[in-house]
Amino acid sequence: MKMADQIDSNPKLLLMLQHFDIDFRVSDLTVSQLCLQYDISENLFVDIANLYNGFGAKRNHTYTKKDLLQVIDFLKNTHHYYRSDMYPQINQYIHKLQENHPEVELRLIEKFFNEYFTEVKEHLDYEDDIAFPYFIKLLKENSTNDARELYSSKEYSEHHTDIELKLHDLKNLLLKYVKVDNDLDLRRKLFFALYELEYDLYIHSLIEESILIPSGLKIESKENA
Amino acid sequence: MHKNPLHILILESSRIIFEGLYTILYQSDLDCKIYHIEAIDELSGVLETEKIDIFIANLLHFVNREKEIKKFRKNNPNISIVGIDFGMMQKSDPEPDALFSLYDTQEKIISLITRLESKNKNISKYNEKDDNLTKREIEVLTGIVNGNLNKEIAESLNISIHTVVRHRKNITTKTGIRSQSGLTIYAISKKIVDIEDIEI
Repeated sequence: MKMADQIDSNPKLLLMLQHFDIDFRVSDLTVSQLCLQYDISENLFVDIANLYNGFGAKRNHTYTKKDLLQVIDFLKNTHHYYRSDMYPQINQYIHKLQENHPEVELRLIEKFFNEYFTEVKEHLDYEDDIAFPYFIKLLKENSTNDARELYSSKEYSEHHTDIELKLHDLKNLLLKYVKVDNDLDLRRKLFFALYELEYDLYIHSLIEESILIPSGLKIESKENA
Repeated sequence: MHKNPLHILILESSRIIFEGLYTILYQSDLDCKIYHIEAIDELSGVLETEKIDIFIANLLHFVNREKEIKKFRKNNPNISIVGIDFGMMQKSDPEPDALFSLYDTQEKIISLITRLESKNKNISKYNEKDDNLTKREIEVLTGIVNGNLNKEIAESLNISIHTVVRHRKNITTKTGIRSQSGLTIYAISKKIVDIEDIEI
């Protein structure tokens, strides 16, 4: 299984490589060789690649602590991609659209997006400042003092859902309701960016739900036993 | 008029229970086509190729998978979920549309599914109407856009809070928009509310 062929059949894997800090020039390496070269377990790499390929998460896989620390680095990289790449890009498109069409709906769309972006940033900050350091501590020190509170936090999971929901609203408003004349180039770019973001956010939450959180719970229950 | 068969998906890893249910459904008057999966991971595969109307599930499979089920609900509002109750489940979240227990009679199970079938038809009729809101829904929407609470909307329209919640659900189903700010933009682009009335 050559990595280059895999990318050819699903270019979204490039996003995954970037989040893993793997260079795009994969030469003729197989997936195993690539994993070996970057010191990533093949098990983890294939599971995440499968998420990007649209397959469901494997529930019963066990990951090592090293795997999980790499998952956290991966997720941190996705945050960087949202903050410094996707959002500025979308923001720019929406702003340009609003300038080209100074109708009130588009002004509201821009406001809607900015509010949404603020919420997303809050959520990413929460993960960077609270959730990830907690996981790292758990993995490195095996200490579980405030574990339950974090995992069972309903607020946390609802926040996630909220993020997906607003993005969904934004797409629907632009697809179905808000009337804009022409400007198809700009609008297509905006849609592509929104769909790309939506896809990666979806994978991001799948990784948290299917890999990070269950593995964290396993560590905790072992200790509490 | 030709009636389409009801597509029923059963999630149950016990062969005995599945076969029993299968027999009950096929021997009934229901015109149905039955699909079987043994684990929740197989769900997305079936949904890709088949149009499912009713999803009968052993609720034990939902444990710790609540988020996926919520997502499934969100993406497939027209599929009714029926839970098989083993008498030892805690309240499940999200809740199924209907429940039957292993000890229910055949008639009870069939009548439950028949009821869901007619409910489904009503929903699809609604969807055909697209996002055309009723007069009442427009009144409720106006309240939402103005930032009123359910209680305030209920009082001003002289209806119960429960009814307001039902209208809100219908508005979301019809428009595909859930957030208050999103609904505001919807209402303006549909000229339901006047821009002047909104603070920007």
